[in-house]
Amino acid sequence: MAELIYSGLAKQFDGSARPALDGIDACIESGEFVALLGPSGCGKTTLLRLTAGFEEPTRGEIRMGDRQVAGPGHFVPPEDRGVGIVFQSYALWPHMTVAGNVSYPLKVRGLARAERTRRVEEALALTGLSEFADRAPAQLSGGQRQRVALARCLVAEPRAVLLDEPLANLDLALRASMQENFTAFHRRTGATMLYVTHDQGEALALASRVAVMEGGRIRQFAAPEVLYSEPVDCFVAGFVGDGAVVSARAAGPFDRSGLEVEALGMRVKVRSREALPTHLCIRPEDVSLTDEGGLRARVRGCTYQGGRFRVVVDAAGEDLVAFSRKRLVVGAQVGLRINRPWAFREPGVSAFPARVMVDA
Amino acid sequence: MTLSFAKRSSSRSEGRLLSWLLLPVALIALGPIVRLLLEGVGFGSGLTGAHLVEVISQGSTHRALVHSLVTAAGGTILSVLIGGTFAFLVALTNVRARGALVFCLMVPMMIPPQITALAWMQVTGPSSVMLKMVGLAPPLGSSQPLHSPGGIILLLGIQHASIVFLTLRAGLRQIPADLVEAARMSGAHGLRVWAQIVMPLTLPALGAGAAMAFVTALGNFGITAMLGIPARYSTLPTLIYQRLVGFGPSVLSEVAVLALLIGLVAISGVLLARWLLARRSHGLVGLSGQPLSISLGRARLPVEIALWTFIAAILALPLMALLFTSLIPAYGVSLTWTNMTFDAWVEALLRQPMTRRAYVNSISLAFGASAILMAVCLPLAWLMTRRPSRAARTIDVLADLPYALPGVVLSIACILAFLDLPFTDMTLYGTIWIILLAYLARFLVVMLRPVQASVGQLDPAMEEAASAAGARLGRRLRTIVLPLAAPAAAAGAILVFLTAVNELTVSALLWSSGTETLGVVIFNLEDSGETVMASALAMSIVLLIVFLMAGVQLLARRLPKGVVPWQS
Ligand SMILES: Nc1ncnc2c1ncn2[C@@H]1O[C@H](COP(=O)(O)OP(=O)(O)OP(=O)(O)O)[C@@H](O)[C@H]1O
Ligand SMILES: [Mg+2]
Repeated sequence: MAELIYSGLAKQFDGSARPALDGIDACIESGEFVALLGPSGCGKTTLLRLTAGFEEPTRGEIRMGDRQVAGPGHFVPPEDRGVGIVFQSYALWPHMTVAGNVSYPLKVRGLARAERTRRVEEALALTGLSEFADRAPAQLSGGQRQRVALARCLVAEPRAVLLDEPLANLDLALRASMQENFTAFHRRTGATMLYVTHDQGEALALASRVAVMEGGRIRQFAAPEVLYSEPVDCFVAGFVGDGAVVSARAAGPFDRSGLEVEALGMRVKVRSREALPTHLCIRPEDVSLTDEGGLRARVRGCTYQGGRFRVVVDAAGEDLVAFSRKRLVVGAQVGLRINRPWAFREPGVSAFPARVMVDA
Repeated sequence: MTLSFAKRSSSRSEGRLLSWLLLPVALIALGPIVRLLLEGVGFGSGLTGAHLVEVISQGSTHRALVHSLVTAAGGTILSVLIGGTFAFLVALTNVRARGALVFCLMVPMMIPPQITALAWMQVTGPSSVMLKMVGLAPPLGSSQPLHSPGGIILLLGIQHASIVFLTLRAGLRQIPADLVEAARMSGAHGLRVWAQIVMPLTLPALGAGAAMAFVTALGNFGITAMLGIPARYSTLPTLIYQRLVGFGPSVLSEVAVLALLIGLVAISGVLLARWLLARRSHGLVGLSGQPLSISLGRARLPVEIALWTFIAAILALPLMALLFTSLIPAYGVSLTWTNMTFDAWVEALLRQPMTRRAYVNSISLAFGASAILMAVCLPLAWLMTRRPSRAARTIDVLADLPYALPGVVLSIACILAFLDLPFTDMTLYGTIWIILLAYLARFLVVMLRPVQASVGQLDPAMEEAASAAGARLGRRLRTIVLPLAAPAAAAGAILVFLTAVNELTVSALLWSSGTETLGVVIFNLEDSGETVMASALAMSIVLLIVFLMAGVQLLARRLPKGVVPWQS
């Protein structure tokens, strides 16, 4: 069952020229772990706050399950939405202990003391915080505070959990272990999770689906591997993963396995869903370096990445990225083979088959 | 679906319900002032400016206006000299024990002016117990030298030095050390650095402090009344007081014109100060780094001795004189070990019904005002910070008015507004309620600003987290905002209490038999020659004040910056 449905959702803040959200349509299934990924200012936090009910949409509607929570002339306040939220700043209440913070949502619901104690203990045990129950938030480390915020959000068994860059304030090692925590958590509770981040590694690692946002719109909403291997436009291709985006023209008939295009001054067989693609997304895996034959290219840079080298080469005036087992000398000539990269059609760019251009 | 509709409207109406709070606040805080303005254009007797012209052209008005301006200006110059010297030395140099110095310089500001005047009158004059003890008293029959314009100027200058000090110190702290270092690198030395770099940068702050000291001196009633009335030297506030006491409410529209006149001068001063402060914060934004600190070298000890001697002269000397006077058996007698007595203290605190009543009245009024203001200001500050509507912003700006205006102006405004309650034939004039209402209006900002600062510092996410946990507005205010803003609210409440207990200017015009306040009783006791009992009562109030100030000091570390007035 769909848990969160956005249709035509838009948000324009008073006094700002550009809408922060500009027509969001998306559907998140119950129990899904979805990441919102995008550059700073693209509207991730705004979408999250609209979902929680802290802001009212300018247009469009939000549904949770079969209930409309925000729409024209209708608005359910955050208190009645039953969603949990974890803030980047944690927003723990400094005048309450850890246990006090965690039991607050239960107190508000009017649960009996015994039941409350039981569920608080459960939540603290689950987050590994049992021994800190009586501490003040100020006496905890960043990671522990993070877990208190999580426990506080989950104790009320919300139908959806919203997390706004929950790991942005933590160091790298702690981030990795907290990421595991989140995955374990999601598996155990089965809650619908909406996770905001601008770290693509985090998004691709954690989420079952990722919504890539830019300029207040969702550019692509798909599984991480699909985002990586089949981006729909230049922005997603460039923002997610490594590699290069080069322009291309169709140069052959389109069938189920793809087509042939003209790019980098030669003909390349590509995968595609479009008969008339405009660009290629060439991942490092799509490029193999050979000593002889293929496309001639010059090495422009070579950096060691643990187990392999990342090589930037200049081929026909475009920078491509490839992996190599050996270190290559900058300036050296190498040969390239490009193996069925992904071709897509950038919206708003007119596409012509290569032949037409040649004939003209 | 219908269910969520119902819930939605209930949650919205909570917010709307809270907005209704703005109405009584506006009515009580600003209603009287609007009423006073209307009086100026002849409200009730048809729109005329006739009495306006008449009052303004009277000779007594002219004289009082000139006297007001002269004493306020003289006091301001003295305040600038004292406060400025202290600010430069404390903020820019390496003198020791700054905290104690600042606290001592602030005490005169917190001691009510009528007590300051009473205490200084015990230092000079032929009946001074202290002078008699050291054999320096002028001969009997010679006049009290403080009963003169010079005396008024001296005490106004001391009383308001701290205002200049605080504004100037805040300005000096914003000067980054690298500015001065840059000047030094280019070859400038000591005095030249001071004259060419430091002075120009701090002139706006100095100007603003001076303007505020001027406005406060202009509205001062305690000192001008205690020293000026015996000398037949009236200023605008004392003229208003004498007219109203002499002729009763029949002269209301006449004194309203006087009140408007003094209000006009005061508001110009306040606007000037704001403009200067706004200019100051402009130029220095973005500069950071170490604040300036100049080493005094071998001059440090002499400078410290001079500062502490001065503090002793303006604080310890008058308070000691006051204490001595409170311990003699009868006025005019000198104090010895054998005739020292606490009779006056016992009489003032335990026996006299009037002084006991005054203690009860003042403390109840101060307590009532701080409790009501605390209850009002928390939701009000929340509303102004989180839901800034146009009405809320307007009240935010105008709430300063009843506090910035001289007390007599507010009193006249309150009498006009509450003399005949609209739609009834009741009057509040002569009851204790009119004093309470005037206190609520006057001290609203004293409570509001600290709470506002505190609520403004709260991460909105704290409340959003509570809201996501299911807590409605009322509960969020009670369980999240209130506990977190509590230290500021407590400090605000103590400040309101402190100011209200000390207050004379407002209650002097609003009291009647049975509703006298401590300020009024000290004034009346001294007026009727009961100086010893007045001194004992005054001394007991000073002790109460120091005690309360220490209470705020203890809270200081848990408060947002700028809440404790002597620690900004
Ligand atoms: N309260 C507000 N008032 C006006 N504009 C706002 C407000 N909140 C956000 N915006 C604007 O809306 C746009 C989207 O902001 P949002 O906070 O959603 O970005 P974000 O994707 O979360 O960015 P980041 O990764 O930096 O957190 C930005 O241009 C921002 O300036
Ligand atoms: Mg954000």
